Amino acid sequence: MALKTRFALVAAAAALIGAAPVLAHHGWGSYDAAKPLTITGPIKHSTYQYPHVHVMIDHEGNTWEITLAPPSRMEARRAVLAVVKEGNVMAAYGYASTARPHEMRAERITVDGKTYEMR
Amino acid sequence: MGGLFLALEQSGLGAAMRESSFLYPLANVLHIVGLVCFAGAIAIMDARLMGAFEALPLRSFVSRWRKVAMAAFAVQIVSGFMLFSAEASAIIDNPVFQLKLLLIAIGLGNVVVFELVTKPGIAGWQGGQPPMIAKISGAVSLLAWIAVAAAGRLIAYF
Repeated sequence: MALKTRFALVAAAAALIGAAPVLAHHGWGSYDAAKPLTITGPIKHSTYQYPHVHVMIDHEGNTWEITLAPPSRMEARRAVLAVVKEGNVMAAYGYASTARPHEMRAERITVDGKTYEMR
Repeated sequence: MGGLFLALEQSGLGAAMRESSFLYPLANVLHIVGLVCFAGAIAIMDARLMGAFEALPLRSFVSRWRKVAMAAFAVQIVSGFMLFSAEASAIIDNPVFQLKLLLIAIGLGNVVVFELVTKPGIAGWQGGQPPMIAKISGAVSLLAWIAVAAAGRLIAYF
């Protein structure tokens, strides 16, 4: 086998392996991390589901969709279903989506005086 | 057609994928482990076609590794279907997911071309420099499946 072919194969394998960690953590690309904001209000609706927990909050005349962590991580941080249930007042600190209006990715949430980290 | 994907999403499987505490992470883990096994088996067959391990007979080499590739592909179909079912109606409209399906079709089409054209064409190859059609077959396969993996990872970003 030619040395060149061998090199090309090794390079292809390295690219395949190397690409994984770069792309492994998703979700922050289409959110404006330069302008963090806090959305506060009573939770109108909540879906405690994979791949991400979502809550809807009315804020300054708009209904915001807040994307939270996956259920497994929510539970690990003690942000269980009862914390994000409908009617609870939540303050979500995070970044607005640049792709969809009134959608935000929460960095942390505060409910009833307790703060839960989403990352 | 759209109703079909909504029905899948609203099925017991779709609901279980969203609501179970372990199914979604499990399918995710299976999908990456399946990818590792699949990519390994594919890459070693493609390397053989492109001239590596020339001392080993092509026919038995391919038949051995194809079994591994097919088993891993089955894992990918099952785990992929599980992940898909959780958000089927949204993911079917995802442009990168559509690209991934096309790339999978190209990868599988290449297997058919290999069986019908390449294999008979290289029957006389005894080692040494591989025939051009063998190199092309291996390169198309390697590139197609790497592109499938890349597209799969990128679904979450679009």
